[in-house]
Amino acid sequence: MSEFWKITSVILLSVILCLTVGKTEKDIATILGMVVCCVAAGAAVKILEPVLDFLWELQQLCDLPEGVIGPLLKAVGVALVAEISAAVCADAGNASLGKTLQMLGGAVVLSLSVPMLRSLMTIIKELISGL
Amino acid sequence: MDIDLIFKIAAVGIIVSILNQVLSRSGREEQATMTSLAGLVVVLMILAQKIAELFELVKNLFEF
Repeated sequence: MSEFWKITSVILLSVILCLTVGKTEKDIATILGMVVCCVAAGAAVKILEPVLDFLWELQQLCDLPEGVIGPLLKAVGVALVAEISAAVCADAGNASLGKTLQMLGGAVVLSLSVPMLRSLMTIIKELISGL
Repeated sequence: MDIDLIFKIAAVGIIVSILNQVLSRSGREEQATMTSLAGLVVVLMILAQKIAELFELVKNLFEF
């Protein structure tokens, strides 16, 4: 929990620094914002570590097949990076690039879910043929 | 968490800004531009390192 307060104070402090530096050096203020995004996202991902470990434990407990949790976690990772990057692009004044990045993230998530959809189709086929 | 890095970049920004003002007021526009560019390159290097670290962390944690 203390990490949350630390990250929040660092982000607020960096917003003030960005405002100060951004008056004359807009490029450096944008890069400062990007670095703070990277640091904060890294800290957030580290906080998520026990949750992910719990997910793996849950998979073993429920005796789920290997390919169920993996694509889900990959999709979460891709979505997280794509969202942060798109927000940074929008902040830097390139909203169109940000939207394209979001679209790219969506495409990757969709392609990751294809094997799961395929296995779902196989199960449905087996169910129908069994009737 | 690396808070020093944030202060470092802010310090580079403020120093570059002051140098830019001083050089442009004294009529050395080219040197002022070069100073801005050098500051930008320095912070870009830090940014590239941080982005690589974040991507590596996400790759490791989300099992890529």
